[in-house]
Amino acid sequence: MESSPLTNDYMKIENTKAQMRKGILEYCILGILRTGDAYASDIIAQLKEAKLIVVEGTLYPLLTRLKNAGLLEYRWEESSSGPPRKYYSLSELGQNFQDELKLTWEELQQAVEIITTPKTTS
Amino acid sequence: MNKTININLAGIIFHLDEPAYEAFKAYLSAVKNALEGQEGGTEVIADIEARIAEIFSLRIAEYKREVVSANDVEFVISTLGRPEDFQDDDDATFSQQQHKHNGSSQKTKKRLYRNPDERFIGGVASGIAAYFGTDTVWIRLIFLVLLFFTGIGFLTYIILWAAIPEAKTTAQKLQMRGEPVNLSNIEKSVKEELDGVKERFGRFREENKGAGNKVGDGIQSFFAFILMLLETIFTFIFKFIGIILVIAGIIFGSFLLLGMLGVVATTWNIGGFEYMHFDGAVLGLNGLEAIIGSGLTLNLMRAGALLTLLLPLFGLVSLIARAFGKPLANGRILNIAGGASFFVGLVLLIYSGFKVGESFKVSATEMTTTTLSGHQFDLRADLIEENDAFLFEVDDEHLRIENVHLNIKKTFDSTATLVLKHRARGKNNSAARLRAQNFNYPVNQTGTVLTFNEYFSVPKDALFRAQELSGTLYLPVGAEVFLDPSVENVIYDIDNYHNMLDRNMIGHTWRMERKGLVCVDCQDIEYYSNDDLNEIDEAIEEVNDGLEDLEDGISEEIERLELELKRLKNK
Repeated sequence: MESSPLTNDYMKIENTKAQMRKGILEYCILGILRTGDAYASDIIAQLKEAKLIVVEGTLYPLLTRLKNAGLLEYRWEESSSGPPRKYYSLSELGQNFQDELKLTWEELQQAVEIITTPKTTS
Repeated sequence: MNKTININLAGIIFHLDEPAYEAFKAYLSAVKNALEGQEGGTEVIADIEARIAEIFSLRIAEYKREVVSANDVEFVISTLGRPEDFQDDDDATFSQQQHKHNGSSQKTKKRLYRNPDERFIGGVASGIAAYFGTDTVWIRLIFLVLLFFTGIGFLTYIILWAAIPEAKTTAQKLQMRGEPVNLSNIEKSVKEELDGVKERFGRFREENKGAGNKVGDGIQSFFAFILMLLETIFTFIFKFIGIILVIAGIIFGSFLLLGMLGVVATTWNIGGFEYMHFDGAVLGLNGLEAIIGSGLTLNLMRAGALLTLLLPLFGLVSLIARAFGKPLANGRILNIAGGASFFVGLVLLIYSGFKVGESFKVSATEMTTTTLSGHQFDLRADLIEENDAFLFEVDDEHLRIENVHLNIKKTFDSTATLVLKHRARGKNNSAARLRAQNFNYPVNQTGTVLTFNEYFSVPKDALFRAQELSGTLYLPVGAEVFLDPSVENVIYDIDNYHNMLDRNMIGHTWRMERKGLVCVDCQDIEYYSNDDLNEIDEAIEEVNDGLEDLEDGISEEIERLELELKRLKNK
């Protein structure tokens, strides 16, 4: 089944957008936890506010993956409104990881600026 | 009033009303389906369940309720997102975007599942129909045709049943139909399921009970599994037997239907059923009246037939309605009414059938003897029908019955006699005897011509009670008889010297000799073998036959005298 060229391009853009957002998402989660320990719902609330995610479902697999990779740690905290919640914090490895990502992010930002700025003026 | 279902979510108990439960179950199983097999999937599921529990708790506290409603479930779905949002890989992200913006026009790859919602046996046909996008009726027809003509349909079905997985979750059901698994479709599908909730109320309650037991009780769930397995097997066996019964029923039923329609038709004198042919026998429809009579029994039988016909009629109507995809709204009432009338009708039929059968219990024989003049006879028959069929005919006063057998035997008297035995049945001896006396069977002798009727008649109200007339023409030695071709249907198994069959005997003249009836004008009959040994054998046989005939003659004579004596005593 062949898609029309237009929808094909459109899908590619959406894909690229999603890829970009996804890469940043990990960095942002680590960034949020850098400022202090947080519940999953807190992280979600902040990301939602920043319009990085629309639905919560996306985040749970990501948090689990980061935790399994050793970047995050968690402890159980009792909750007054529901079951016990996971209280996430950055591990030492996670802190180093976040530092590196921060560097990379800044480099990327510069790179993008350098590449895109001259084009718009010329 | 609404029923609620308790669920355990992350260790907290929630009360869900029925629509909420249905929607939530569908959503959660879709989510689980999306996450299962993924790395850390179970942990993520636990996290999500905990989060849902949190949302439920918050909302219950906020709105000061105790029961989770469909709105809450909807809120959870909109907060957490579509099942595919939970997938944490590039493909999923890609396809998610695809669905989001291309949703309705985009068809995902179809997968073959069995459809549990639309099944007759295992849901194979409806699953295949969904896969090819056709109506289930056609696939079922193909299976039926294969079953009828080759039997392959049965085997194919079993194999497919075993091989194709059942579509259990909403996501699988959507895949089965080739619809993309996204929120709007899940919602749509869940809503469709909700429409059927009331119907499945009973079953659903059972399921819920089972779910409660399954938790933490391995033994019980094992038994539940065995029970389920047995149920499935029995359901299958019953349905299979059902199919066979339906096929046999259609064949048998169409005969029965014809018969009963006949009974009904006589009620209002509906035409077109005057004759029914059963295996060569012709049963005049008014002959039915000849057997049953026109009294209470016939009316009972008519009522019985009518009532019995109602159920198949209702069944046919609802079957046709279902085949066209529009099940009858009050089909249940129809079924109950049909079942009740079927039962009552069956009782009436059995009762009236028994009444009729009872009047066939006892048999009686009456005998008349006529002395004939002369030694030359020309046997002819007065025929009413060309074919050799058993027949009743009823006119206003008489019942004509074609059940006449004529035999020819040797007598040692000097004159020829005709002995007619009238046999009839009745519910007791006197009724049977009365019937046997009420035979009208004139035999005409004009010169040498002896004319027999193919039928005899009895009074109409005597009814048909297996009346039978067997006549024996006793010929003295030396007498000759010509069998006109017309007697073929009347003569029955006449012994003759050449051991010729009845149908070969007609058209010839026969002479009674000591050794039996001998053909006078037959050609090409070998009387004796040329072989000497055979000649002796023949001679011995001849003597034996003669002795046997003598014995026969004597015993016939004794029988005759005994009956004569009885008659005299009766008088």
